Amino acid sequence: MLVGLAGGCAEAPPPAGALVVAFDSDPQSLDPRFQTDANGARLADLLYVGLTRAGADGQRAPELARTWEMPDRRTFVFHLRSDFRFPDGTAVTATDVRATYEAVRDPALASPKRTALAVLSAVEAPDPTTVVMHLTEPFAPFLDATGLGILPADRARERGEVTTGAGPFQLIAAERGERLVLAPNPRYPDGVPKLHPLIVRIVPDEMVRVLELRRGGVHLVEDAPEPEIGTWLGTIPTLLVRRSPGTSFVYLALNLRDPRLADRRVREAITLALDREGLVRFVLGETARPATGLLAPEHWAYARLRSPRHDPGRARRLLDRAGYRAPRPGAPRFRLVYKTSSQPVRRRLAEAVQTELGAVGIAVDVRVYEWGTLYADVRSGNFELASLAWVGITDPDLYYLAFHSTMMPPAGYNRGAYVSRVTDRLTTAGRQTFAPARRRAIYARVQRRLAHDLPVVPLWWEDRVVVHTRRLHGFEPSPSGDLRGLAAAWLD
Amino acid sequence: MRALAVRRLVLLLPTMLGVVTLVFAFLHLLPGDPVEIMLGEWAAPADVAGLRRELGLDRPLAVQYVRFLAHAIRGDLGHSIAFRAPVGRVIAARYPATLELAAASLVLALIFAVPLGVLAAVRRGSAVDRAARVASLAGVCLPSFWLGPLLMLGFSIRLGWLPVSGRGGVAHLVLPAVTLALGMAGILVRLTRASLLAALGEDYVRTARAKGAPRWRAVGIHALRNALVPVVAVLGLQAGALLAGAVITETVFAWPGLGRLLVQAIQARDYPLVQGCVLAIGLSYVAVNTAADVLAGVIDPRLTEDAR
Repeated sequence: MLVGLAGGCAEAPPPAGALVVAFDSDPQSLDPRFQTDANGARLADLLYVGLTRAGADGQRAPELARTWEMPDRRTFVFHLRSDFRFPDGTAVTATDVRATYEAVRDPALASPKRTALAVLSAVEAPDPTTVVMHLTEPFAPFLDATGLGILPADRARERGEVTTGAGPFQLIAAERGERLVLAPNPRYPDGVPKLHPLIVRIVPDEMVRVLELRRGGVHLVEDAPEPEIGTWLGTIPTLLVRRSPGTSFVYLALNLRDPRLADRRVREAITLALDREGLVRFVLGETARPATGLLAPEHWAYARLRSPRHDPGRARRLLDRAGYRAPRPGAPRFRLVYKTSSQPVRRRLAEAVQTELGAVGIAVDVRVYEWGTLYADVRSGNFELASLAWVGITDPDLYYLAFHSTMMPPAGYNRGAYVSRVTDRLTTAGRQTFAPARRRAIYARVQRRLAHDLPVVPLWWEDRVVVHTRRLHGFEPSPSGDLRGLAAAWLD
Repeated sequence: MRALAVRRLVLLLPTMLGVVTLVFAFLHLLPGDPVEIMLGEWAAPADVAGLRRELGLDRPLAVQYVRFLAHAIRGDLGHSIAFRAPVGRVIAARYPATLELAAASLVLALIFAVPLGVLAAVRRGSAVDRAARVASLAGVCLPSFWLGPLLMLGFSIRLGWLPVSGRGGVAHLVLPAVTLALGMAGILVRLTRASLLAALGEDYVRTARAKGAPRWRAVGIHALRNALVPVVAVLGLQAGALLAGAVITETVFAWPGLGRLLVQAIQARDYPLVQGCVLAIGLSYVAVNTAADVLAGVIDPRLTEDAR
């Protein structure tokens, strides 16, 4: 039957010069005003330019803004390049920047980016290449919000999805859930991309993405495959598997509202019970680095800290000292519920953690949840242990959002209800300090403090694993996983 | 026959109302907040409240429910929270893919299942019968999440005849349609065989043969016509299920259909889109089953008499 059917329908190959990239899910929005998910951000990097963009070390790098300065602690003045054009040839000017920022600040638009611009009080465009932004208070992380993609001024307030940008590519067709077709922006000033077209296919199943790579139906995949599949892909002569240090941070969230986990000795015992080197080796096939904290070593504010060791003996002694002795030989000291998402690697991690904590007398009940349910539980404080990750870390102000005592949900990300006056003071100072050296010193102290207090158990920084056809040249994968490198790439 | 169709259409209203009510209730019991998913975890409370108000999520559940029904009756299914587009437009963009896959699977299943079922019944106990029974059992037992990748490995990777996944020309349709059709065909082969065997033992078939009707006529015209009635009923149920979106097959083959859209909508807690999808699925299900009942009435007019 299949032979007959196949005989009559030959597959049309992708057009010559086309690069097909596979995403695991459909970006929820292609509009920079509404985009919140990782795949939406990857596309935004290709379609739009912002005033600045994140560099590999987390610092802001110039993009549309050639330079910027601060005449006072509440004002940023951006000097724009005049050579960026929208695909129709219209120049990107300060008016477009002002209109885009004002649209996002308008509560009527209900943009998820509005909160990040909460400190912005006014935007001025005194001439086509100058933008002045006034802040309500000194706020050092503000530059992090200046990556917002710029839309044409006359479309910035449209309520529907707007996808016109001045990035290296332009969107020419979108079949949602299926594929997005991008063509080079012929007016892109830093070299018109050579990939034409760039097709983004939505392939949800990991194994199918791998088979598509093998067959040549897909040329590039950025979502790291399971370690053993990555090894197999490396044996295929037409494919190149590239591994580089990444910035995504995987950790065990601890709920400090629980009296057992509120005890620092118990948190330290949990940390000491985990063999993170072993977890990286056996759960991840060595595609990660054991982490000491939120910021990876490549980040400008990273402070070198001693990695927590694996010492089950000391973990047992700490638990004894904390008063959690086993009621009888062989019985657990206490039980903890560990919530995790259904991702295979997260489930394997849960099993490994269950075994290692079991070895020091902590029984772990693993509960696997669909992401929406896990997220809601973590947000509402309905968890004891949970495996979570931070992706796309840029400004260290994340320490304020994740660990300041006022940032418990719904205000911020302090899901474990960690309270420390020292951390509060330091993270507040970090967002009010502009001098880079002083800021770095403040965040070094924050990192040391958290390494001592252990409000979360750092596990690892995930490597970036990119698999692509050997026909692709000139592409440099980025540590954060963005695809801007495709602007300079070509197929032979 | 018209009476049957009218009666089914009248039943459609309470059925759909029940389905929509249940979905509405269960969806709001799920943990997770669409506004928080949309605006991000640290959105200002004022913004969260504003969007909640704009989407009508700040109102009592009963008010939200009545409002949804009132709009749905006018054909307005609301705005998708995740896609920021009218629900009707989002569903309309995906529905053709689902229809295409469902139709191809049904045609494939019918082409292979009915002749094989007839052959197995006519040659009862023969090697053909045994082979048909084993094959149909295998078709029913093989799960699509296993069968799909197996077909990909064989026909796309090893032989290179067909694309691995995605939606494009006829070539892209073959593997997902075969994956779905095999399971359906397995049931239909067994049902056709059993139903035809029962019909072949009836007096009217013996009478036809006694009156000199050739075997092919007694089987093909007299027995098969009656034997097809339960087959058509089951086909209707299966077609309805296919139109509800074959989530696993759609996911495995990256097929942009309604099933995947529904899963995506549930994950994003996109209440209007979930309700819209369920409504579309429910309507399709009832429409297909009504069509199947009408077809069964054409095959066996006594069924239409019973409906009066």
